[in-house]
Amino acid sequence: MRRIGLHLGLLFACAVILVPLLWVVRTSLLPEHLSYSPELMPAVTLDNYVALFTSTRYGQSYLNSLIVAFGSVVVALPFAAMTGYAFARFKTSGRAGRFAVLATQMLPPVAIVLPAFALLRTVGLTNSLTGLIIVYAAVNLPFLIWILMGFFEGIPVDLEWAAQTDGATAWGAFWRIVLPVSLPGIAAAGVLGFILTWNEFLFALVLSGPQTATVPVALAALQTSNGVQIAKVSAGVVLAVLPLVIASRFIQRFIVQGLTFGSVK
Amino acid sequence: MSSIELDHVSKLYANGAYGVRDVDLSIGEGEFVIFLGPSGCGKSTTLRMIAGLEGISSGDLRIGGRSVNNVAPRDRNIAVVFQSYALYPHMSVRDNMGFGLKMRGVARPLIEEKIREAAGLLGLTPYLDRKPAALSGGQRQRVALGRAIVRDPVAFLLDEPLSNLDAQLRAEMRLELVKLHRRLGRTIVHVTHDQVEAMTMGDRICIMREGRMIQVGKPLEVYADPVDTFVARFLATPPMNLLPARVEGRGDDLAVIGDGFTVEVPQMHRAAYAGLAGREVIFGLRPEDLHEAPQPGFSPIEVSVVAMESLGVENILVGQIGTGASGGKPLEISARLSRHFTAPVGARVPLHLDPRPMHLFDPETTRAFPRPSLRLVTN
Repeated sequence: MRRIGLHLGLLFACAVILVPLLWVVRTSLLPEHLSYSPELMPAVTLDNYVALFTSTRYGQSYLNSLIVAFGSVVVALPFAAMTGYAFARFKTSGRAGRFAVLATQMLPPVAIVLPAFALLRTVGLTNSLTGLIIVYAAVNLPFLIWILMGFFEGIPVDLEWAAQTDGATAWGAFWRIVLPVSLPGIAAAGVLGFILTWNEFLFALVLSGPQTATVPVALAALQTSNGVQIAKVSAGVVLAVLPLVIASRFIQRFIVQGLTFGSVK
Repeated sequence: MSSIELDHVSKLYANGAYGVRDVDLSIGEGEFVIFLGPSGCGKSTTLRMIAGLEGISSGDLRIGGRSVNNVAPRDRNIAVVFQSYALYPHMSVRDNMGFGLKMRGVARPLIEEKIREAAGLLGLTPYLDRKPAALSGGQRQRVALGRAIVRDPVAFLLDEPLSNLDAQLRAEMRLELVKLHRRLGRTIVHVTHDQVEAMTMGDRICIMREGRMIQVGKPLEVYADPVDTFVARFLATPPMNLLPARVEGRGDDLAVIGDGFTVEVPQMHRAAYAGLAGREVIFGLRPEDLHEAPQPGFSPIEVSVVAMESLGVENILVGQIGTGASGGKPLEISARLSRHFTAPVGARVPLHLDPRPMHLFDPETTRAFPRPSLRLVTN
């Protein structure tokens, strides 16, 4: 009886999460005039997807988002790895330093976005992908540092000691032993950073222009004075979710794989 | 040259606590030395200081006569085998073993040859292409040893390398390490908290407690003449019986009297212990010096049996003596008896105590009162 109750509860929870998503998928595949039809699936068409790419800049925005998300991860990861390692292994600035890094995440984004805009305007990087990449790398850095710090703390220091007595320098031990061993963790952090950037709206809205809009901004732009173009929005959302679905598959595999497979008992 | 000298070496942590305090030790070339002590006593810290993985707060550390206080681990040419083995998980056994040589820029064919040699020596040849995750605990342990051997270091530092192995494998590896030492002739420092390893493997035991090295000597020396009650209890299982007592009488009548026992001080110790008459002491006697049968010079005691542990080769009797009249509980005592001796729990049995190997300790300082050594083994 308890099991039945449990399963009913789980089914309900799944429904709460899945029904809106499935409804969006359904709406994206319906002709626009049937978007609000009470029937489940009165017709199927790909017109919304075609229209999204032909009558709006969604394709450009999609590419922008990919570039910005990848770029910010590529820029942020090396810094995050080195800082996270320093926090995990050395007494670098102590606990205060660690929490100061995290504390920057506690500011509301709105408090940072205007100074960021002013800064980018000074150096002429507003309305540019480079500017967005730099800002996202900076904004995501504390979070990535904390994730990687956890991974590095999980790597036994014995491994580095062994490498050092084997003839490696401290840097060599980091490069040849710690980095390869923590690759799953670094990959997981990279995927998380990608997702964070991919979903971000406020910074993209303020710092980008029509040429450099990212997916969230492009989706918001479909809300016009003539009302929300729900069919196109649905198609856009389905496409926007795709990379995240793929990313979560990866991240799951990397995290499950574990870190120190068989190095220490 | 591979002698290691610790000259008043200390490790002081930032919080003011000493990890290692004023350790003074000279390890000869080719010597097999054991650091023994309970966890947290500073033995692993001392080992890491020798390896260069831990800084030295004061004192001087010399390897082969050269001061190495400020020499990086990689320039000390010392190999460490860690308790966790610390194998590189992303490398094959072959690459694990060759890593040290690769770091030193040795040519690939020579590395291959050394790996082959060490793998043959340790029986690892079939596993060279496996990753550490695909090896058993014993095999990983061998790889860790192999990684040390191929480098041909001046000394091996082993940090509890056997503690993760099961009992049978541990006994085998113990023997193999001793053989390996004989074969390679290199200095070995072996850290352990296992008394059997300490007694059987090393040329010398260094017993550590709370950061200090409290006794250094050959295993049987330390066993026969512990400097204090800590060493007396630590070095064997069951540990030495320590009973509060009082020295009474004088001359031929000198005796140690405690709750439930009276031991006449044998002739050979009278001169040494004569000055203790009238003093409170701790009487120490190892379980193997209690016997079922009387012999001239033995002192009889009566023990009520609390437990009998039959180990096959021998029986360990745990019992109580005395009445607890002095306010405490009855004193617990253990005796190592023949396997034919049995007694039901609760029975009172007579035992006979050989007073010749007795020790007297100062109850305040716990240090042993000096007396002539009884050691039969002198080498």
